[in-house]
Amino acid sequence: MVNKISRYWACQLIGWSLNIAISIFFVTTFGEPNTIFFLSLLLTCMLGVLVTHVMRLNIHGLKVLSKPLRKQIFYLLGLTIIFSIFFGILTEGIDYLIGYNPDRLQKYSKMQRLFFSSFNAMWLLLIWNMIYYTYHYVEQNRRQELDTFRLEAMVKSLELKTIKSHINPHFIFNALNSIRALVDENPTRARRAITELSNILRSSMRAEKMETVPLQQELDIVTDYLALEQMRFEERLRVDMDIDEDTLNQPIPPMMLQTLVENAIKHGISKQIKGGIVRIISDFKDNHHELIVQNSGTLNGSAVDNNDGFGIKSTQDRLNLLYQGKADFLIRDMGDGMVESKIIMPVAANL
Amino acid sequence: MHKAIIIDDERLARNELKKLLTEFPDIEVVGEAANADDGLDKIENLSPDIIFLDIQMPGKTGFDMLLQLDKAPHVIFITAYDEFALKAFEVNALDYLMKPVEPKRLADALQKILLAEEKELAAAMVGLNRGMLSESDQVFVKDGEKCWFVKLGEVRLFESMGNYAKVYFGANKPLILKSLNALEERLDERIFFRANRKHIVNMRMIEKVEPYFNGGLLLDLKAGEKIEVSRRQAVKFKEMMSL
Repeated sequence: MVNKISRYWACQLIGWSLNIAISIFFVTTFGEPNTIFFLSLLLTCMLGVLVTHVMRLNIHGLKVLSKPLRKQIFYLLGLTIIFSIFFGILTEGIDYLIGYNPDRLQKYSKMQRLFFSSFNAMWLLLIWNMIYYTYHYVEQNRRQELDTFRLEAMVKSLELKTIKSHINPHFIFNALNSIRALVDENPTRARRAITELSNILRSSMRAEKMETVPLQQELDIVTDYLALEQMRFEERLRVDMDIDEDTLNQPIPPMMLQTLVENAIKHGISKQIKGGIVRIISDFKDNHHELIVQNSGTLNGSAVDNNDGFGIKSTQDRLNLLYQGKADFLIRDMGDGMVESKIIMPVAANL
Repeated sequence: MHKAIIIDDERLARNELKKLLTEFPDIEVVGEAANADDGLDKIENLSPDIIFLDIQMPGKTGFDMLLQLDKAPHVIFITAYDEFALKAFEVNALDYLMKPVEPKRLADALQKILLAEEKELAAAMVGLNRGMLSESDQVFVKDGEKCWFVKLGEVRLFESMGNYAKVYFGANKPLILKSLNALEERLDERIFFRANRKHIVNMRMIEKVEPYFNGGLLLDLKAGEKIEVSRRQAVKFKEMMSL
């Protein structure tokens, strides 16, 4: 606030000094300056500071700056005219008091001279107001932009949170349904299934709080998840894991592999009458950590473009946010009835 | 006793539903299918009264399967959680159950069907003809994301559109994949009259009959459509009306 006020006064000082300088320049070039002129000029400018300051108090008092643009212009003109007359009367009064009465003005009546003074003052005040309003207009815009940025950042972080905690409700209810069927048919399997489902739900809730988790931890969830899906799909779902043990400590974004595996089931396995295979590969390659999910099926263009609510686009966004462009995500049709999605991340050393 | 079949790609889901249905002595599960094509076969061979149908299935969805039927039996949809399906139902409030199925809701859904069936039975008593579609039979139609079970009695007009037919009912006119000739063979000719090459008209929906050029007729339907009857068909129409 202190900074703000001093900036205002600095502008006042510079503006009116400039006015004095210009006036002196014109008078010394085209006329004959005398002490009383300088006195008049100085007093006028001091009055100017006073008048504009009172005008500013009025602008604040009327809350002009928060009004719509059209009203602002209306107020700007109105205030300029009122204060110009006010200013004119004051300058004439001062001039009269100090006895400033140049020859060129003597042929005019008092009213005419008052009119000239006010007219002159109007230009000054108009310029003053223009500067004042423009400054505040620009400032307001800048602040709005800043707010927008802040809001966007907040939305982004919220989005990330929801992405992380996202578990397909379709899956949850199907799993519960299967478990109910298993209660009679295979109680042991049913009990295990309940544990697996709890693990997944617990991890998805915990995932909100963390940026990365070790691959091992994510694989535990994925294993539970696939076990539950196998209970549903039975012989239609085959699972194959090819994990380099050295990658087990690598940090990865939580629930990301899980999302890819979910998609592999949803768009791959569940669409095939005969079912298919889901293969998970984790390996180091070219100084990068590669995490790959392959599944039976074909890449459907629309599923990729639609970004399917959560899925491809959110994975890409999360990687960008986390690794600032140092990670990559690819999805492609391998041609032999398999689809592959691949995350390439930088290797984290010193673990 | 009502015959029911269950169409769902998950064995456990089918088992669970069968178990729930043992509580209903009126319902006998005569078959089950794991996908839409299998389901079509079973419907053909077993002619069930009720089908329990999963929407998300590999190959074809439950909706796709229904679209292939000439005549839709009573259907109770079963879905785990599917926004698309629920959206379709909002429009015309069909019966659906959510997995895991709540026994009370299952009972309600069955009750509703049994009541509807009684009414139909009374209506269909007059001149029951095997293989023919009666007014109380329903067809499943889908237009974009909306779907309906439409009683044939509510249809006022079928219009030929190449291999498709446009079905006019209420304010809707979706397309079905049936030629007009195929429809004509299955429809009861005392109610559905072939007015010309392009149109089959529901006789109960005719408001006014006017003479037309060349010995033809012009039929004004209740919703405002005007259908021309060709000269040859006009003779037949008059014969039918004079009875």
